[in-house]
Amino acid sequence: MASNAAVPFWRAAGMTYITYSNICANLVRNCLKEPHKSEAINREKVHFSVAKWVDGKPQKSSNYPFIFLFC
Amino acid sequence: MAMTALRREGKRVSTLISSPNLRSSLAPSEEQVSFGVRSISTQIVRNRMKSVKSIQKITKAMKMVAASKLRAIQVRAENSRGLWQPFTALLGDTPSMFFNNTSVLKSTYYIFMILFACFLPKEYSVLLLNCQDYLLISLYSPCLKRKIGSYIFKLHHCDALTVGVDVKKNVIVTISSDKGLCGGINSTSVKMSRALHKLNAGPDKEGKYVILGEKAKAQLIRDSKKDIEISITELQKNPLNYTQVSVLADDILKNVEFDALRIVFNKFQSVVSYLPTTATILSPEVVEKEAEAGGKLGDLDSYEIEGGETKSEVLQNLTEFQFSCVLFNAVLENACSEQGARMSAMDSSSRNAGDMLDRLTLSYNRTRQASITTELIEIISGASALTG
Repeated sequence: MASNAAVPFWRAAGMTYITYSNICANLVRNCLKEPHKSEAINREKVHFSVAKWVDGKPQKSSNYPFIFLFC
Repeated sequence: MAMTALRREGKRVSTLISSPNLRSSLAPSEEQVSFGVRSISTQIVRNRMKSVKSIQKITKAMKMVAASKLRAIQVRAENSRGLWQPFTALLGDTPSMFFNNTSVLKSTYYIFMILFACFLPKEYSVLLLNCQDYLLISLYSPCLKRKIGSYIFKLHHCDALTVGVDVKKNVIVTISSDKGLCGGINSTSVKMSRALHKLNAGPDKEGKYVILGEKAKAQLIRDSKKDIEISITELQKNPLNYTQVSVLADDILKNVEFDALRIVFNKFQSVVSYLPTTATILSPEVVEKEAEAGGKLGDLDSYEIEGGETKSEVLQNLTEFQFSCVLFNAVLENACSEQGARMSAMDSSSRNAGDMLDRLTLSYNRTRQASITTELIEIISGASALTG
């Protein structure tokens, strides 16, 4: 039962279940054969910008031109 | 670019049309005409006609674009409904704590509320109402129901007819669009969020906003910028996908402390209609507490948990995953209703432009004819003066 052993590890590494499952999903995507692989990876582009607010003012916003590079 | 030009032009034309002395503003008045010029210049009207015509072209094009985007996104939105439905079946949308204290006190509250709803402006009546209240009101008076009917918001899951779980830290996730020109969908979701915020306000309670999209940010900045926690924009640069929304959900989970997340969005119904909707996600601790108290969540104990995980671990994973799924659906539904609303808004605005063009053409032709007639009269009378 590999997944059982893994649970505390990713949680301890500060990941949420979402990050964990995203990494897993990305691994699966990387296992595809070529025409499908790049298609699937291109489909899942992440882009948005986040601004945290402190005392009614937006702090500097950070962009997420974020393509999964976990593996 | 085109959008701002359009907005500017639209403002100009709308003031022109709404002004009562339309005719006089189109035909230059006496003092504007310089001495010696006999015919009235139709230049202004011609220019206006040209601009209205190009606005009509733009709005028609925008309608087409919205229609094609809608078709693409509608399928995805409808498919994504399968993501939250199992969660709602398992956890319910809102565990009903309000039901426990339905009492005489409550019914006097309703009578007050109905009186209130009669006299308050529309924006406020939404503050007082939720689905349960609506049902009661419709029992009390069917004609009131008609009056308030359109300001009711629907809960994601109708078994749990209440907005209220009594928790301390409420975080309201308002979903809106980045771009405008799409009717009232952004202001409905903002109104709903404000209503939820008021509904959950209390002395020892805390209400925060997480805002998705430029438009809701612009509206909420005015009166509740102290309560904004995070704002997120530019979500729709690429086509929406689950990875993106889940990274976003992850970000929200990491940066915001919450007991209950309330996602406010417009649920897509058809091209011309959308329902302002809220979905609730409780934090794992609250779910556990609720489950111990019994009710729908008490059934959780009847599930067998595989492996060495504890119940709280499972619940935490479940909540996180539920949040990302519900958020994904909410974002898609909202994008879908946005395109639908934009389509119908652009449709009616191109129809308006057509009407305006008709009116302008009429007054243009009338002026033209009048000047021709005047010229003819002048020529004939001059000729008859010479012969006579």
